[in-house]
Amino acid sequence: MPVKTISYEELIPGYEFPPATYELSASLVSKYLRAVDSAGDGFVPPLAITACAIAAMTGSFSLPSGTIVIHASQELEFFKLLPIGTTIECHIGVAQKITRGKMSMLILEFEVLDKGKEKVQSGRATIALPT
Amino acid sequence: MVKHITQEKINLYAEASGDFNPIHLDESFAATTPLGGTIAHGMLNLAYVSEMMTSAFGRSWLSEGKLRAKFKEPARPGDTLTINGKINCVEQKDDVSYANCSFECLNQKGEMIVTGETIIKLSSDKE
Repeated sequence: MPVKTISYEELIPGYEFPPATYELSASLVSKYLRAVDSAGDGFVPPLAITACAIAAMTGSFSLPSGTIVIHASQELEFFKLLPIGTTIECHIGVAQKITRGKMSMLILEFEVLDKGKEKVQSGRATIALPT
Repeated sequence: MVKHITQEKINLYAEASGDFNPIHLDESFAATTPLGGTIAHGMLNLAYVSEMMTSAFGRSWLSEGKLRAKFKEPARPGDTLTINGKINCVEQKDDVSYANCSFECLNQKGEMIVTGETIIKLSSDKE
């Protein structure tokens, strides 16, 4: 997990988090497949990769204790399949930060690369933080 | 495709994804929030959509798929989710065929949990 070095208040559009690295080990993929109730096919499920990216995103900044984080929408594009055991690097940036009444919205963009720096997937997540 | 949400699966998903937000895991905390109880991670619900797409399109989906999803309502432990999808049209761009699909994920009460669209590359006439 990335270290939480920045608070939500400090996030501004254009901010880029330090890259987070994950090893998509057999045990992690096995746990993921059990959680999603799927048999798997020898590759890392793309949404297991996305899950790492999302965790890297939401784990990269600190929120006041008790804050609820709601995943409002998600865009994804897949570029390549990865074998189990691959190490990935998640690059995450703040695209937009919106406050509407008692709701704050954070739009984060991410790109996942493999060890050879080839793009594996990219995406955009909108998370809502009711205040 | 039909899937059952349990707290055990949510807990496993938290471990696999590293997302330990208490709204998913801590029943006493979640009960005090406007959501009234624990909810499944949105990405857990979306994983079922991806599984359906993989069943239909195989590696084309896994290596070249595009998705846009909106999480409308939370899924909760005890829910039974039904995931449906359909091909809306097939488009040709530069000798390549793309299927434009829509999907929805409903709970046992018929409430929309997730809805969205996907695009999948089907084939190239040059291949």
